[in-house]
Amino acid sequence: MSTETLRDGEAETASRGLVDRIRASPFLSQLLSNRLALAGLAIIIAMLVIAVYARLTLDLEVISRSQLGTNPNRAAPSLEYPFGTDGQARALLPRVAYGAWYAMLFGTVTVGASTVLGVGLGIVAAYYGDITDNVIMRTMDVLLAFPSLLLALALVSIFPDELGLWRAVAALTLVYTPRFARVVRGAALTVLENEYIDATVALGATDPRVLVKHVLPNCLAPITVQSTLNFGLAIIDLAALSFLGFGASAGTPSWGLMLSNGVSQGLLTGVWWWSFFPGLFLALTVLGFNLLGDGMRDALDPRMREAVD
Amino acid sequence: MFPKRFVLKRLLLLVPVLIGVATLVFSILHLSPGDPALTIAGERASQEFVERIRADLGLNDPIWVQYIDFLGNVVRFDFGESYVINRNTTVREIMANTLPVTLELALYGQLFGILFGIPLGVLSAVKQDTLTDHGTRVGALAGISVPIFWSGPLLILLFAQVLGVLPTSGRISSTFSVSPIRVTGMVTIDTLLAGEWDMFKSAVRHMLLPSLVIGVYSMALISRMMRSSMLEVVRQDYMRTARAKGQGAKITVLKHGFRNALIPVVTIIGIQFGGLLGGAVLTETVFAIGGIGTLLVEAIEVGDYPIVQGTVLTFAFLFTLVNLVVDITYSYLDPRIQQ
Repeated sequence: MSTETLRDGEAETASRGLVDRIRASPFLSQLLSNRLALAGLAIIIAMLVIAVYARLTLDLEVISRSQLGTNPNRAAPSLEYPFGTDGQARALLPRVAYGAWYAMLFGTVTVGASTVLGVGLGIVAAYYGDITDNVIMRTMDVLLAFPSLLLALALVSIFPDELGLWRAVAALTLVYTPRFARVVRGAALTVLENEYIDATVALGATDPRVLVKHVLPNCLAPITVQSTLNFGLAIIDLAALSFLGFGASAGTPSWGLMLSNGVSQGLLTGVWWWSFFPGLFLALTVLGFNLLGDGMRDALDPRMREAVD
Repeated sequence: MFPKRFVLKRLLLLVPVLIGVATLVFSILHLSPGDPALTIAGERASQEFVERIRADLGLNDPIWVQYIDFLGNVVRFDFGESYVINRNTTVREIMANTLPVTLELALYGQLFGILFGIPLGVLSAVKQDTLTDHGTRVGALAGISVPIFWSGPLLILLFAQVLGVLPTSGRISSTFSVSPIRVTGMVTIDTLLAGEWDMFKSAVRHMLLPSLVIGVYSMALISRMMRSSMLEVVRQDYMRTARAKGQGAKITVLKHGFRNALIPVVTIIGIQFGGLLGGAVLTETVFAIGGIGTLLVEAIEVGDYPIVQGTVLTFAFLFTLVNLVVDITYSYLDPRIQQ
């Protein structure tokens, strides 16, 4: 037997291993056969590429600066300026592209922070029960008693203006944390009923070890779904706060701010491209996350698997 | 039977949550930068004047005294007078004028969502995995993904600017005055009560686009919930039994399936009411409608704390109340919950 055929054989086993692993996981195979979820994933990847490309090639200082005198002012979309120009003669295309970077960056921080906080609180509440559980979950109930955007609006006012979009991130993190805490607490309670948890405890594992090594990995699926669905929400809410004037500072190429400009100045003059392009990118990004998150949720729910006859 | 014990239990559970809500609002305002006394007095006021206002507002009291006072005021629904936006007017009075505007918007949005969301959800479930189903599902996801501050301006540009068939902003044509006929504060209802047909038509025309953009969101959520709930019900044994005894497919779906599938939809209507209130803030901004949402945004901008307190608490109470009503309705529809 030559060494070459051996290597081929090895490669084959390896690739078969991956396919088998996907097949063996009902979640992944279900998700990958869902065309809508894949379309969502494609949109997200495309937006990520745009975001990173814009971040690497565009100079934030240049696209934020007024271009009056150099560019035509309020020009309609044309070959030279595909998305038109704004009231300060800045070309909109690079600004909208850079907006993707802002949405992805601040969206990731918001969702990441609220996931970490919520997962920590939820798991601790489920594991220790009693007073710990009550204190944590009743606090979460209070936060959930507010309509989310309005709570975010009230919280934003605590932070100084100079923080710009970061204060929106901080406010929304607090707003989203209870949702994660609830989902994770529920999932963790189910996991904790398993005998292997008792076994681990009996073997002398410390609390943090049980939580991180045994409970957390088994709660990952619902956490991932919740994060993905919340991603779309976070991007829309971040834009909404900027739109209302409590997010990105003036001049920043954020979609929410561009849309605010489109409403306050473009609406009555009929300048549609100020609203159209930033909003289109925003809606597409959010749709991508919603399609993917929805597919994930369906894939996790065994009841949705087989169709009714 | 009316679930008395369940309602009582739910009401008692509400007390700590409401105290928590009030405490949170109190903390937010105390953590906010800026000195209320200075805001009222103005930049050029003398030091003594600012001090006097501070004493009047009770800002020199220990924090726990202020907190107890605040809770007392909340119970009496008294938030004092506006600092900046509308001086010498009580917050209660200002809210009495603006809250109906927002509620009207939210109600029409909700109505739109229910009227279109439920039939779409049923259609989607009955035709599961067909083109209709996929179209409805993608449409619903798109409805959740499209921000109000995008769909709103685009619709205004299309219907008001290009086609010129609908008004761009406001609640009623400026040639009319609604204050003499004010009863509920909701302009479509007041004009109808007064029998002012032309005014009513104008109000409805102004209401169309705002309730459409705000309603699409509820429609999307309701149709999704209706679909999955319907699919769940269709798999139940009693559905098979109904079919087995010879009942037609349509009748089975409508008579046995639809009614049971509606139950979880009631819950989603409550949960998304919060989203509706948030959406109202955005819709009011886009369409220049002076409701409680735009009031809150302005109050945060200028530091009018009594208004911020009053509006945020009112929103939270409303949301909590709606969810309580939904829970009770739910337990009434599905008595198993009461256990």
